[in-house]
Amino acid sequence: MYLEIKDLKKSYGEGGSYIQVLKGVTTGVEQGQMCVIEGTSGSGKSTLLNCIGGLDLPDSGSIVVDGQEIVGLKPEKLSDYRRERLGFIFQFYNLIPNLTVRENVQVCEYLSEHPMDMDELLETLGLTEHQNKFPSQLSGGQQQRCAIARALIKNPKLLLCDEPTGALDSKTSRDILALLEKVNEKYGTTMLIVTHNNSIKNMVHKVIRIKDGQISKEYVNETRIPAMELEDL
Amino acid sequence: MQKVLRKRILRDFKENLVRYLALGALIVLCMYVIISLIGTADTIITGSEKFGETHKVEDGQFSTFVPLTDAETEQLFEKGVELEAQFYLDYELADESTLRMFKNREKINLIAVDQGKEPEKEDELVLEKRYAEEHGLGVGDKIVVGGKDMHICGIGCSPDYDATYKDFTDSSVSSIQFGTVFVTKEAYQNFLEEKNSVKVEEYIYAYRMVEVSDGRTMTEDELKEWLDNLKVEADEIEDAYFQEFWKEQTKEKTKFEDGIADLKDGAGELADGLEELSGIKTGLLPLDEGIIEASEGAGKLKDGVDEFADETQEFLDENFDVEISNLRQIIKKGDNPRILAAANDQVINKYGGLIAGVIVLILFAYVISVFVVYGIEKENSTIGALYALGVRKRELILHYLCLPVVVCLIAGAIGFVIGFGGIGESTIMGNCYSYFSIPYMEPMCPAYLYVYGIILPPVLSAVVNYFVISGKLNKPALAMLRNEQKQSKISNVKLGKMGFVTKFRIRQMLREARTSATVLGGMFISLLILMLGLDCMVMCNHISIANKEDTKFEYLYTYKYPEESVPKGGHEAFAKTMKKENLGYNLDVTILGITEENPFFDVNLTDSKSEVVISSAMAQKYGVREGEIIVLEDEETETHYAFTVKEIALYSTSFYVFMDIEQMRELFGESETYYNQVFADAELDIESGRLYGVTTKKDIEKSADVFINQMKPMIVMMVGVAILIFGVVMYLMMKVMIDRSAFHISMVKVFGYRSKEINKLYLNGNFYIIAVGAAVCIPVVKKVMDMMYPVMVSNVACAMELAFSWQLYALVYAGVIATYLIINALLVGRLKRVNLAEVLKNRE
Repeated sequence: MYLEIKDLKKSYGEGGSYIQVLKGVTTGVEQGQMCVIEGTSGSGKSTLLNCIGGLDLPDSGSIVVDGQEIVGLKPEKLSDYRRERLGFIFQFYNLIPNLTVRENVQVCEYLSEHPMDMDELLETLGLTEHQNKFPSQLSGGQQQRCAIARALIKNPKLLLCDEPTGALDSKTSRDILALLEKVNEKYGTTMLIVTHNNSIKNMVHKVIRIKDGQISKEYVNETRIPAMELEDL
Repeated sequence: MQKVLRKRILRDFKENLVRYLALGALIVLCMYVIISLIGTADTIITGSEKFGETHKVEDGQFSTFVPLTDAETEQLFEKGVELEAQFYLDYELADESTLRMFKNREKINLIAVDQGKEPEKEDELVLEKRYAEEHGLGVGDKIVVGGKDMHICGIGCSPDYDATYKDFTDSSVSSIQFGTVFVTKEAYQNFLEEKNSVKVEEYIYAYRMVEVSDGRTMTEDELKEWLDNLKVEADEIEDAYFQEFWKEQTKEKTKFEDGIADLKDGAGELADGLEELSGIKTGLLPLDEGIIEASEGAGKLKDGVDEFADETQEFLDENFDVEISNLRQIIKKGDNPRILAAANDQVINKYGGLIAGVIVLILFAYVISVFVVYGIEKENSTIGALYALGVRKRELILHYLCLPVVVCLIAGAIGFVIGFGGIGESTIMGNCYSYFSIPYMEPMCPAYLYVYGIILPPVLSAVVNYFVISGKLNKPALAMLRNEQKQSKISNVKLGKMGFVTKFRIRQMLREARTSATVLGGMFISLLILMLGLDCMVMCNHISIANKEDTKFEYLYTYKYPEESVPKGGHEAFAKTMKKENLGYNLDVTILGITEENPFFDVNLTDSKSEVVISSAMAQKYGVREGEIIVLEDEETETHYAFTVKEIALYSTSFYVFMDIEQMRELFGESETYYNQVFADAELDIESGRLYGVTTKKDIEKSADVFINQMKPMIVMMVGVAILIFGVVMYLMMKVMIDRSAFHISMVKVFGYRSKEINKLYLNGNFYIIAVGAAVCIPVVKKVMDMMYPVMVSNVACAMELAFSWQLYALVYAGVIATYLIINALLVGRLKRVNLAEVLKNRE
């Protein structure tokens, strides 16, 4: 198992505002798998992703990534973990507005000792002609591609995607998902995709459904559909 | 709509409580300082003028060789010149301080008694207040003056000694060393008769121009001319030293007259003898005829010699004026450094304060606008939604203006109240009272100061913020809804090929250009205030140290009536006081003729009447360099003298123009042996009646520290205010910078950036801005202040050495960097505690 989660619990607030978001989640993802975490708003899927990413500290439980326990790591070690293993993609891209496309990607290239080839990656993502543009000069799809390039440049083993198509139209969403699929095939990157879009689960290897902080359903998708053939995105 | 939005204002205020409190406190502090300065200046200026009016300050004063007659006084009164004799006697006390004694005044320069009463008995006196304070004396105390026990019946001051300079040429007031006292007529007469004064009585008359019935009041120039024409016979002047001096001055003429008289006598005797001889008949006809011819010839010779003697006497009387003008010196009120000195000192404070206030308020208004803009940028989508719902831009501008305007209004008003109230104005007035001899003045607040203190801060804030906010709200509703960030041209600049970190930092700096400019603006203004304090400190320290070092002599005797020969152990000099204008103030400059052998001045004298060496004090004050021409005015003769500056000699104590004494004697038509000053390294035995005064090295050393002691509180205040302004502006602006970057900083943290790397990308850029900004700002601000400072102290006659040591520059620079590092540590500490998941969640 590349990612192994055991009895993960996370709560927020105290007294009257206390809420337990994750109530003992146990699951795992194999290396090179694309996995969707789906659930309704407030189900705990983003919290789970944040805990895996080391952005939020769980109350208890265990998260082991590629053999390394990350629960209880000190902030500096967590930084190293994210730096060496993770890539992040967000719903609203979160590009740095005063940097060009190339410079945004360089932000993460800088972190890796063995980054991917920048020009090749930009070419793969169709960004070569836009590399000197600022985010405000790009469409939503182009911005998300830039965000993907930024996440991939350091060649991460685990890519965490939080609603990566949430802000895009269906055609662009399909393009982006196809791109992720291509990256997964080409580089063998393990991907966790948080989404509430029902169609995306059809293209991935594994689906984890969360409801009220617990896993309500978990299964391996035997009948994967290529991203370009997905409907109702 | 406004009602609903108004609810947000208080919430916004609470949310940014620290920010608004810090800024508000700074506005309070600055308004307090500025209102105190301006209010004090207005109080002193107006109060001094009122004091002058109520206590009949003179329009001028003049001194004479002999007292004026009643008839002359009457004549002047008819011409609209009211006079009052204000003769004085100087007494040295046991502590070596000097008290100048006057009769109580009745018409001009009336004394204001703060405590006690005016003198009524012969053993009572009113003591000048600053001297009393410095010596811990009060009403009821005893003081020994001229060997007599006197009771202090009152403490007060007079408008003609607002600054108690002992001599007009003094550069600072030292109330430890000098003060004035006022006694009854009878007491003064007794003192005069006992002749214990350190120098002879000075015949000083104060005058005031009054209306006369025919409306033709004399002008001051006419008065001077009238007094100039007031001749006295030398014989009328009783002073024995004057008579000796006069004899010496006229001895050549007397010798000549004696020779003529001898010739006349001889010719007369010859004529008489021959006439007598011609009456005796020898019987030798040729001899008798010869004697008669000789007698006739001798008679003719006698007539001729008599005629020659008469003509010669006439010539001598015409060319050697035996009558001398009774006028010794005349000084108009405006040229008298003792009168209205406190008010003159405040003029610069007033205008400097008014300008500084506006600059500081604009800076603060801009600081507020920066974080209002930041708030607007954060709320772009909300504003877009409000636009879409029909809210007008004007309503939103009003909403965003409300908090800055209210903060400035309240802070300005608090600063105004503190500044005008007991803490502010009276504190600064205390500094004034501790230097100048002025009566207590009720703090006043003119109407314009209310406008300045209460109305101006919110108005400036409204104007500055209106333009900034209006620009930010100009975007279309859709663009705001979509939170479209328009890249400014400066941010879009292409950076070419350079390292990622460098490129990132440059982009970050460009992004924060406005905020960085505000930090640099704050740095510039606070450095200006700091430099003002430091220039003041450096100048006062320099005076304190250099005046002591440069004074090589122990005694300086200034003669009224010099002896025929220079006293043994002394080095003669010829001093002549001239005037030279500096930024509207006519200051005294002394031309000092000395010999090459004078060991007290390291000066390379020239054999020229037109080339001179000037003291470094004068060069600094007037900004004169070698090779330049200086023009000095002799006010008595209304003559201008131009000299070329050949060299600048290191001498900080006085404004001296050094000349070779022989050249100077020739230039000013004095005899080959003339001198009026003697420098010595030991006390000389010179009769006090010959002297105007004696200046000792100790006097100079004591007065050298007066400036630094006087200015210390002001220097500390300036440095403190500067540090506070810089600290708060930098804190607020850096907080905005970090807040604006907080999300991206969290983002890169998500990507795995370590603290050091984040500092490198986001925060070190700020360090470079501060480091480079300070490296540029400090010398620039220093240069600017060095140009401004002399204007601020243009009425002070002292050296203007403002050069900083490299250590001081380094200290200022280190202070700036240290302030940055402290503030940076405070803000970065907050950043480290940010929950990354929370940041991402809030963003989305």
